[in-house]
Amino acid sequence: ATETFAADVTWNVSLWGKRRAFTEHIEKLAEEVSARTDGKFEIKLHYGGALSKSRENLDGISFGAFEMAQFCASYHADKNPSLTVLELPFLGVSDLETEVKVSKALYDHPAVQADLARWNAKLLMPSPMPQYNFAGKGDVPQSISDFDGMRVRALGGLGKLMEAVGAVPTSVTASETYQSIDSGTVQAAGFAPHAHLSFKVVEVADWWTKNLNPGTVHCPVVVNVDAYNELPDDMKAALDASVDPAIAHYLDTYAKVYDKWWPELESRGVTQVEFSDEELAAFAEKAGPIHAAWIEEQSANGLPAQELLDMVKKTIAE
Amino acid sequence: MTPFEVGIMMTGVLLVLVVIGVRVAFAAAFTGLVGLIVLFSMKMGFERGFFVALKMAGTIPHSKSVTYALSVLPTFILIGFLAFYAGFTKQLFEAAKRWLGWLPGGMAVGTVFSTAGFAAVSGASVATAAVFARVAIPEMLAAGYSKRLSSAVVAAGGTLASLIPPSAILVIYAILVEQSVGKLLIAGFLPGVFSALVYVGIIVAVASWRGDAPAVKGFTWKERFESVPGTLPIIAVVAIIFCSFFFGLATPTEAGSLGAFVVLVVAFAKGMRTRQLGQALHETAKLTVMIFTLIWGVLVYVRFLGFAGLPEAFKDFIVALEFSPWIVMICILLAYAVLGMFMDAIGMLILTLPVVYPAVMALNGGEGVSAADSAFGMSGEACAIWFGILVVKMAELCLITPPIGLNCFVVSGVRPDIPVQEVFRGCVPFFVADVLTIGGLLAFPSIITILPQLMG
Amino acid sequence: MMTIDPGGRSASERPVTFIRFDGWLGQVENAFNLFAAFSILALMLLAVAQVVGRLLFNMPVPGFIDITEQAMAIFAFAGVAYCQRVGGHIRMEIVLGKLSGRTLYVCEMLGVILIAFTVALLIWGSWFHFDRSWGIGDSTMDIRLPTWPSKLIIPAALGLLFLRLLMQIYGYGRLVANPGRDPVAVPMIENVEDHARHEIEDALGADAVAGSDDGNGAGTGEGDAK
Ligand code: NA
Ligand code: NA
Repeated sequence: ATETFAADVTWNVSLWGKRRAFTEHIEKLAEEVSARTDGKFEIKLHYGGALSKSRENLDGISFGAFEMAQFCASYHADKNPSLTVLELPFLGVSDLETEVKVSKALYDHPAVQADLARWNAKLLMPSPMPQYNFAGKGDVPQSISDFDGMRVRALGGLGKLMEAVGAVPTSVTASETYQSIDSGTVQAAGFAPHAHLSFKVVEVADWWTKNLNPGTVHCPVVVNVDAYNELPDDMKAALDASVDPAIAHYLDTYAKVYDKWWPELESRGVTQVEFSDEELAAFAEKAGPIHAAWIEEQSANGLPAQELLDMVKKTIAE
Repeated sequence: MTPFEVGIMMTGVLLVLVVIGVRVAFAAAFTGLVGLIVLFSMKMGFERGFFVALKMAGTIPHSKSVTYALSVLPTFILIGFLAFYAGFTKQLFEAAKRWLGWLPGGMAVGTVFSTAGFAAVSGASVATAAVFARVAIPEMLAAGYSKRLSSAVVAAGGTLASLIPPSAILVIYAILVEQSVGKLLIAGFLPGVFSALVYVGIIVAVASWRGDAPAVKGFTWKERFESVPGTLPIIAVVAIIFCSFFFGLATPTEAGSLGAFVVLVVAFAKGMRTRQLGQALHETAKLTVMIFTLIWGVLVYVRFLGFAGLPEAFKDFIVALEFSPWIVMICILLAYAVLGMFMDAIGMLILTLPVVYPAVMALNGGEGVSAADSAFGMSGEACAIWFGILVVKMAELCLITPPIGLNCFVVSGVRPDIPVQEVFRGCVPFFVADVLTIGGLLAFPSIITILPQLMG
Repeated sequence: MMTIDPGGRSASERPVTFIRFDGWLGQVENAFNLFAAFSILALMLLAVAQVVGRLLFNMPVPGFIDITEQAMAIFAFAGVAYCQRVGGHIRMEIVLGKLSGRTLYVCEMLGVILIAFTVALLIWGSWFHFDRSWGIGDSTMDIRLPTWPSKLIIPAALGLLFLRLLMQIYGYGRLVANPGRDPVAVPMIENVEDHARHEIEDALGADAVAGSDDGNGAGTGEGDAK
């Protein structure tokens, strides 16, 4: 404990897992904030769920046990219904930059802010995730009908989409995915590339759906509203100004995941499936009713659901 | 006071509470809760800090108990409670006697093998010892074996249950250190067999020298083969559980449930009554809630440690030590052996691992270290598995050592004619065997790590 | 329940109301533990259905992990008061085992008061946890089961435990006042031989040990489980 250099303000950040590409923007944020305040504002990262289980991060934020946290909207759709709009299938997000753009637009919406305010939380920045393409073992799927009867690990909205094309969503924990595919408990699993790598799915996979791009999960970084409001103006400014460099750093780091990903697919001889435009259109068609069902459910919950989805689609198209 | 100092102070409070006999789960929850109140009060004043601490602690019981990986525990426990009614013991012992009786100390050798076999349906060492004390000791005494040997071999054989899957304690270890439950369970298999073989070697040597365990000869090949079908149900259960884990055909919870279901069916076929099923379920529920309470209670304390930054500080301290990592490792294992003399194995593990495990991993060079760069010559994951088996073996060792070697008391309790001192004396050769086994596992870690590595 | 006083004392000398209340509470605790026991059986059958459904019919139980997780709160908590009554929560007894008479009872009572304090605060805290999921909303990852029913089990089960702890505080309190009294409704410390006897009963059924009493009754301790 180096008391002499103690910061004036220390924030704790609740994170799960180890340090990885997914957390690099928070590392960068802490660095930037410290530099901009001469070390007076310290942001301390706690990995491994030391401060909270990932699914309870919003709870911890709500009563101020820690000032900042990361979570994924799909971990608890009903805690953050407004964020799940970005997890709907086939929104047409093609890269992480678009994901950042649409996230920021969504965070500015009053309905979304009100949704998170119930947890005393303010959305600070996204952790943009690539599309959850499927990697699997066995016959390479060429068309939508090849997914009929296939047991897949796909949660939430992605699971609904796969169900719509006849696949059978099957409960498997992330860490059990490798063994489950190897033994045929499931035939495929949907993850972002870094997760396919870290859960070793790529080691047992025969194929990967390169351009299916069915959707992704949305994982924001939030701060406790009171803690944010109590910050002196200079520190608040330093925090706000650090967000863009942090995200830029994240995008750079995540790009390096692909430096490993493509050679890994090549060297393991994993077939990269590219679906034709007609096939992709057929998939996207299945997403229509899921979007409609989402609008109906969330409108009933009092969200301006149609407006949010339209805004998201418009931002993506811009 | 710094958070770190609060962490040290509250850890001292916890030690005192545990030693003076407050139930461990609640002593830990109390310490954690008070520690959180102190920490948050320091940060934001008592009026706010008290409620933040209260709400933080209040999330933990649900959050930490409702974890899919833990759902395997009651299924394993249930298998153990039903195994007795399924009547596996007699058939196993009979087969082992007919096939191995001709060796010097042959019936004791048979007892080791049949306890090892029974270990594959029982996760509880003490229960295994109790069951075999009834089945095996009378036959050994009738064949002219000394009370000392026949009681000790049952007490020692019972300890195999925690290594050979299914094992509740290995599940708890795997979850606490966030490693694959399936791999930990498979990892226990070879060390369990290895321990059994070392026991057999010691028995044959001691029996030849002392002559207190005559060979039992005269079984024909026909009689030997006739004893095999009786062991088929247990072989089926072993196959289900082992294959499920090893080939990933089912998750641990599914495998445990399938195993429990098979044992349940066999037990009913062997005449178990509904009342007895109820009793087994009642006992399973009691043991399950005890373990879960211990887990979440201690995790309230661990959450407080997380805010106080204590595990990191201990890790830094261990890594900074001047001694060789091997010396540090052996000291840690010896500390477990001493602690195990006074504390129950599961409690000891849950209480110490959150602080000790990160230090051991750092000692080896970190979680992501490669075998080449590591201190113990194994990857981070292999080290986690290796350490887990070693710690469980240390805890098992304490079941046959004074002062509270529970297996010895249980055997003596089932056989009122055998004083417990006699059992403890008989266990001396098995204690030597266990020390040899632990030495073997330290020198040849691949006995532990090879099967999990094959799983990928 | 013990109704005939072994010391032959009249009803006025025995804590009749206390014994009666202990009996009622015991019934509730037994029912909760039975609930836990059945949830374990149900989980086992559900998992068998999951494997058979998946392997034979390509029909896994939808949201199996979600269902299992939420149901786990039942067997993780429902029996917690029962376990405390029979002394099933583990502890170290090397120091307590050396004590006797009033000193022992004072230590036991202080220990239980400390537990009751902790449990009371945890009831409060876990109620907040339930209240957030009820008031704001929360659901599981896969099939979006609401989590509040599962979260409500914790304050409920701990509430029952708190009542049991109050009983034990009173139970030790009357022994502190007069160590000569018969212990009622408190688990008594047991030496390692008694502990071993209870382990044997657990493994082999209660009839395995000749002359053993009913290990589940109030007023008889089971020491720590393995
Ligand atoms: Na076992
Ligand atoms: Na005896």
